[in-house]
Amino acid sequence: MEKSQTAVNTFVKETGAWIAAQLEACTRCGMCAEACHFYQGTGNPEYAPVWKVELLRRAYEQRFTLSGKFKLALGLEKAVTDADLTHWSEIDYYACTMCNKCSMVCPMGINLGPLIHDVRTGLSNAQAVPADLHAAVEKQEHEGSPLGVTDAVFKQRIEWVADEWEIELPVDVKGADTLVVFSSIEIMKFPTNLAAIAKIMNAAGEKWTISTKGREVVNFGFYEGNEELTVLFASRVFDAAKELGVKRVMVTECGHAYDALRWSAANWMPVPAGIEVTHIAGVLGEFVKSGRIKLKPGAYDNDGTITFHDACKIQRRGSHIQEPRDILNILAPKSFKEMTPNKEQAICCGGGGGVIAIKDADPVRYAAFELKIDQVNQIGAKTVAMACSNCRLQFTDCVQHFNLDWKVAGLAQLVADALVG
Amino acid sequence: MNWENTLEFARGPFFQVALLVFVAGMAYRLVRVLALGWQPDRVQAKGSRIGGVAVSFLKGIIIWPFIPWVKNTFNRNPITYLAGGLFHLGLFVVIFLGTAHMLVWKSLLGFGWLTLPLPIVDWFAAGAIVAMIALFINRLVNPVLKLLTGPAEWLNWLIVFVPMVTGYMMTHHLWFQYETLFSLHMLAVDVLLIWIPLSRISHFMFYFFAKAIHGSDFGKRAVTP
Repeated sequence: MEKSQTAVNTFVKETGAWIAAQLEACTRCGMCAEACHFYQGTGNPEYAPVWKVELLRRAYEQRFTLSGKFKLALGLEKAVTDADLTHWSEIDYYACTMCNKCSMVCPMGINLGPLIHDVRTGLSNAQAVPADLHAAVEKQEHEGSPLGVTDAVFKQRIEWVADEWEIELPVDVKGADTLVVFSSIEIMKFPTNLAAIAKIMNAAGEKWTISTKGREVVNFGFYEGNEELTVLFASRVFDAAKELGVKRVMVTECGHAYDALRWSAANWMPVPAGIEVTHIAGVLGEFVKSGRIKLKPGAYDNDGTITFHDACKIQRRGSHIQEPRDILNILAPKSFKEMTPNKEQAICCGGGGGVIAIKDADPVRYAAFELKIDQVNQIGAKTVAMACSNCRLQFTDCVQHFNLDWKVAGLAQLVADALVG
Repeated sequence: MNWENTLEFARGPFFQVALLVFVAGMAYRLVRVLALGWQPDRVQAKGSRIGGVAVSFLKGIIIWPFIPWVKNTFNRNPITYLAGGLFHLGLFVVIFLGTAHMLVWKSLLGFGWLTLPLPIVDWFAAGAIVAMIALFINRLVNPVLKLLTGPAEWLNWLIVFVPMVTGYMMTHHLWFQYETLFSLHMLAVDVLLIWIPLSRISHFMFYFFAKAIHGSDFGKRAVTP
């Protein structure tokens, strides 16, 4: 079977009424482009979010609607070809983080992010995924992590972190309340985050554990849109949680994993009953509010303006908007300043959705980040805090690329360094 | 051509057929979409899905059209916001609050309602026509709209524009005989009614679905839509 046929079959299979109704509601007004940081950054009209679902629309219309069949017969519109898949693979994977900002400006309210995810599923089934992203997915399938955190590496890193920061990291503790699952970005690139989160959990007196089986929270299958592997990667975490008998799973500073495990998984697979999925940003807020951890007021008030970058999957798609602000208002009541727009309207970092894993996407990724540079410079912030390691990776890389003098900080790190008592 | 006969045809049997095609066509479209099946969202909500839907509609219908500048995207494409808003506002005022149109509704539904004085309705009609022209130019110059606009979009524009212009001209007795303009207006309306179910002009029906899906997804996540 031709690749394009596989993609079209996937689109047709995926298209339930909720998708069809959204595709039908689109008036092609182009407003979504004005919300997209990739279009804004590059000026390439093909990065308009509506254009990213073009293949899905064509497949739907040509299969299910009279006007679509009519247009196809008259040659006004073409069927999806293999060349189209190659072309849209670059548009949908290079220039979209599925941050869903576009859905907030759509006059019809079309939820474009999830629709673009459906396009990715078609491309994934047709094997039209950028090579580096797919290689990372395969790595996660076989080694358990896209960044090479094998069982041996995991053990080694955990022992090293425990040693280096002289901190206790409980491993595979049955009957613990909270299973903490780190992302390999933290394990490999920001190991201080492991120490910071461990310090906070211990300080709060939480009965927690990490698991050697469910040791990777990121889900590159979700990035690719590969349904089978998305479920496999999520089930590794859920199985570990069941085995250890925990009450909740805490996703660390990773955005898309939270979207996958907390807000989407139940629609793909049976999720274990009675196990809550939480995010570190929410848990931090809860610890501070209930007084389980105490923070030094004004700890960062003397380091220049500090701002908070809202991650698409943790704030706009995850609702932990208030907790980081409550915390920063304690840590830096005088120097904490908001960027505009912010909270659920925030501009995405441009590195999520797997984009940062694709080398050829670097130019568009940097172009998208220029919007963030303007935002931060507008308020003259010297420190940018965030609760997502993928954003943090993008910020760290871009700070170097653009030679910026900002400090990039994880929220958990800031909290851990300001603990008192 | 005898315009009186044409008018009789256009506002008589042709109008009835067009109405029938419109109603049956829209019903078909709705059933066709719903028949694709609805997968329930099994994810446990944090906020209220219904609340999200309510906010989504409130923002869409009440707040947004009056204060469009709350969105930072407003500055980047003000024509789409202003002209798009003005067009829809003018359209609703003329169709529902214009006396002549209310009488058509009354003949169809059996009851009428209060309408606005003609000079006021007239300004809304003129505004909607100007907005349509602005939207036309916008589609020619905006890079994204250039990419998105094909024969279907231009045809939609034309089929919506002709009834508006002929209606305006007949109210003002411009250039042609009243019967001629009335006939053209009715013919254009008939064509429009038949065209709506075949085209994206049907978005007004699917709007309610898309807005509800959006609101429900944001409500589930406890985020303001």
